[in-house]
Amino acid sequence: MGAFLRRNRRLVPYLLLAPGLLWLLLFYVYPGFQMAITSFWSGSLEKGFTFALENWTNYTAALSRFSGYYVRSIGYSAAATILTFLIAYPLAYTIAFRGGRAKNLLLFLVVAPFFTSFLLRTISWKIILGDSGIVFGPLKDVGLLPEDFRVLATPVAVVSGLTYDFLPFMTLPIYVALEKVDKRLVEAAQDLYAGPWRRGGTIVGIVLGGGLGLLLGQIFGYWPPFLAVGGAVAGAIIGALLISESFVRVTFPLSLPGVFAGSLLTFIPSMGDYINAEFLGNPDTRMIGNVIQNRFLTQTDYPTAAALSFILMAGMLAAVAVYARALGTEELTTGRV
Amino acid sequence: MAEQEQGVLGTPVTRRRMLQGSTLAGMAAFLAACGTSGTSPSAEPTAAPTPAPSAPPASTAPSPTQEPTPAQTPSAELNWANWTYYIDVDENDPNKHPTLDRFKAKYGTTVNYQEIVDDNDTFFGGIKDALSGGQDTGWDIVTLTDWMAQRLVRLGWLEKFDKANMPAFVANLKDTFRDRSWDPGNDYAAPWQSGMTGLGYDETVTGPLTSVKALYTDDPRWRGKVEYLTEMRDALGLTMLSLGLDPARPDRAGCDAAIAVLKDAQDAGIVRDVKGNSYAEDLKSGDAVLAMAWSGDMIQAVIEKEGLRFAIPAEGGIIWTDNNLIPKGAAHKFTAELAIDFFYDPENAADVELYVYYLSPVKGADEVMLQKLPEIKDDPIAFPPAEVRARLVAFGALSEDDEKYFNDQFASVLGVG
Amino acid sequence: MATAAPTLRHAELPAAVRAWRWFRANVLFMYTGFAILYLMLPVMVIILFGFNDPAGRSNFVWQGFTLDYWLDPLGVAGLANAVVLSLEIAFLSTLAATILGTLIALALVRYGFRGRGAANMLIALPMATPEIVLGASLLTMFVAIGQPPFFPLSFFTILIAHIMFNISYVVVTVRARLAGFPRHLEEAAMDLGANEWTTFWKVTFPLIFPGILAAALLAFSLSIDDFVITNFTSGKTQTFPMYIYAKSRIGIPVQVNVIGTLIFVIAVGSVLISTLAQRRNRAA
Repeated sequence: MGAFLRRNRRLVPYLLLAPGLLWLLLFYVYPGFQMAITSFWSGSLEKGFTFALENWTNYTAALSRFSGYYVRSIGYSAAATILTFLIAYPLAYTIAFRGGRAKNLLLFLVVAPFFTSFLLRTISWKIILGDSGIVFGPLKDVGLLPEDFRVLATPVAVVSGLTYDFLPFMTLPIYVALEKVDKRLVEAAQDLYAGPWRRGGTIVGIVLGGGLGLLLGQIFGYWPPFLAVGGAVAGAIIGALLISESFVRVTFPLSLPGVFAGSLLTFIPSMGDYINAEFLGNPDTRMIGNVIQNRFLTQTDYPTAAALSFILMAGMLAAVAVYARALGTEELTTGRV
Repeated sequence: MAEQEQGVLGTPVTRRRMLQGSTLAGMAAFLAACGTSGTSPSAEPTAAPTPAPSAPPASTAPSPTQEPTPAQTPSAELNWANWTYYIDVDENDPNKHPTLDRFKAKYGTTVNYQEIVDDNDTFFGGIKDALSGGQDTGWDIVTLTDWMAQRLVRLGWLEKFDKANMPAFVANLKDTFRDRSWDPGNDYAAPWQSGMTGLGYDETVTGPLTSVKALYTDDPRWRGKVEYLTEMRDALGLTMLSLGLDPARPDRAGCDAAIAVLKDAQDAGIVRDVKGNSYAEDLKSGDAVLAMAWSGDMIQAVIEKEGLRFAIPAEGGIIWTDNNLIPKGAAHKFTAELAIDFFYDPENAADVELYVYYLSPVKGADEVMLQKLPEIKDDPIAFPPAEVRARLVAFGALSEDDEKYFNDQFASVLGVG
Repeated sequence: MATAAPTLRHAELPAAVRAWRWFRANVLFMYTGFAILYLMLPVMVIILFGFNDPAGRSNFVWQGFTLDYWLDPLGVAGLANAVVLSLEIAFLSTLAATILGTLIALALVRYGFRGRGAANMLIALPMATPEIVLGASLLTMFVAIGQPPFFPLSFFTILIAHIMFNISYVVVTVRARLAGFPRHLEEAAMDLGANEWTTFWKVTFPLIFPGILAAALLAFSLSIDDFVITNFTSGKTQTFPMYIYAKSRIGIPVQVNVIGTLIFVIAVGSVLISTLAQRRNRAA
């Protein structure tokens, strides 16, 4: 065999690739097309399904009825991505620049929750965030919160759940990108742009913080002015006093590829999630994933479900394509650490 | 650990590469479109069942009038899929069931009893492939709710009972269950347990409740803490009762009216969530104080939390029944009939009843229960008085089209439509 | 952090400024502490409630400490089957996916070939696709070719699905390892007379083995915990996550928390052990 391989050296990579890629072709690509086919079916499980090109109306029907769910899912996923970014970035930054010998341990701690069942983790949040549970019970007893305050069965809980689930997916790419930043650049930058960001920070902080607060308020459905003001204040403080100019001008831009990778890895799976909405939400917070699940598994309405899935998949492909083209993914290729 | 999750994409995506990818995909699509003709159920219910290695020739649906059927013997094992908490349980070993042990002692059959049914649709999804292909599902008895049993009858995916093997069933089935519209001869479905759908509430918060209209009323005591059931027939059924409609004769107009009531209540902020059994957890934790509830859950819940009550409203409640069914192609049909019949003996039925506290479809079981546990007559959930039973209504049968319509409309209540 | 402030010694600064400076210097560490705590909170709840002694069926209020469920972790009907099934599927899918994925990684890193872009895209896409789309499309395929049921939804359909989504993760992980691989070692071996096969097994494989192991661990974790894709492709077979989902409606038995904790401990332990072994290897 060694002789054969040496003579047909060009074949070797194809032989290595073939089994795995074939598997992916059969069980990823082909099902994707089958789903497109299914979306052109009409009929029912009991009477039988038939394929017909005229059934492109399945798509228009699905969109006109369920478009609101896509919008809501985009809103929740965007909120979760932004929140995950805000939580993950300082974490990744600390590990990369201040981690020292504890780096690997910290990274491990970030990833460790991933080794428990994500269903159990979501249910744990249900316990933690219960109306009279360990967090809100004492607060209500003391009188800090009104009796009918609740987080569960609201969009807040759903977005919180999503945020938590994808934290490792955002932290690791940002960490990798920050880790690659040449420390000498950072030192040079710190010499050039010494000190906190002050005026620039205040302005940007107010704008971004306020904007984010407003967005979250809209998505969560209450207190937009309160959240906007709170966000603006927090943004101002952090921007002006805690962020250094060298960071903004040098480090942050260099970490952008990691930020985008993490955002993609958070936003896309989050769009298809239905567990958080089911366990932590209420009928007004259902996402497109819940609709697809209901249509497939409960109502066995395969054509509509397939159409909805296909739209989701097409959207995802488009996002990936745009992202790949915009950023020139050479830097992100796996393995070039 | 840093090595594990890094970049995502291999190379920049150029138009050329996407085209390369899509030619491959195009071929696959062509092949797929050719090959698919959609699923259709097997129209004729004559699929030969796979013979079981251990069972003697007792598997095929016998035609009793033709030839004398060979003497049938019980098989060595029987596969039964049921819901949880639906059979008696040995106090010391949760995996042992005294009634099943007695069945084994009598017939020598080991019953492989699996509490694997959690949801009618999910379970149906698991067996429909085999049934539509005319194959053995692997189960000899499955216990499913009325409407799912009705669907299976409609599809022709159930074995017909050989009543000659089921004398106790024939004799002791309660009259209300005889000749149901979707199973007129009681040939396909043998009721296992019946349960009630009514109001579950925390009396310390809501006060005593007697009207189903409470579920749709904006009252500060329970605003935002009410929960509805995801089970369409129960939710719509109760709502129809609140409107004075008859759930036994459901029609689209009634469906629309009930949906309107439910959606109005949701829009008004009265409802916290629409869920399945997990409403019981919310009642126990206090996250909810009023819910559409099932009697079996509430029996447990009232023990676990002070103040919880279950009541059948004055307007009425819904009675639902889970039925023992023999799927087409079952390997041990004869033994399955013996097992079903075994539980129509009032003694055995009472033993199960004393554990699950549902309503038994077996004549005489109630009397045996009273003998064994006289206190039970004071428990209104396990032993509802006659005037309560009189208020219970079973949701009527739906045609396939109506069922689709109802489910589709109800999706808006569930939040997914 | 150059300052333009007048040079006062630290102890002479007013307390507020000192406090602020201390805060600024340590804010990131404090934040990291809180973030790690936040990450660990649900895990701690899961572990804690494995020791709970609930009065009834629901396990969400702390009622008392007990070791009973740890002593009898499989004592609930259906749980043992589900766990065993999950382990079987995880093991088999890890094996298959690791082999297939490592081969792909080797090809991608070592060789140039036409179709590279498409290959990279094909591998990356499953990781970027929402799980519900992966599961749903597999379901439609199994349904469509289901007459007669060559593909009844069952153990095998779950296995197929798990291998599929694991391949991509294995490729990414092993690639990361291969990137920094010292090719000259292989060349040296071949100069010394070894053929390609021997070189691979005696030189290459031992060096990339930690990466393969890491990939296998990742694949195993993903498979054992997968719910969404399994939900769509399982039919009536019940894996451990499906068991949890089904029971979440009625009341999750305490044993589920126990098993979850065990899985967590074993996974964490494996990582720790393999990391320590790596360190010792490097030192040696």
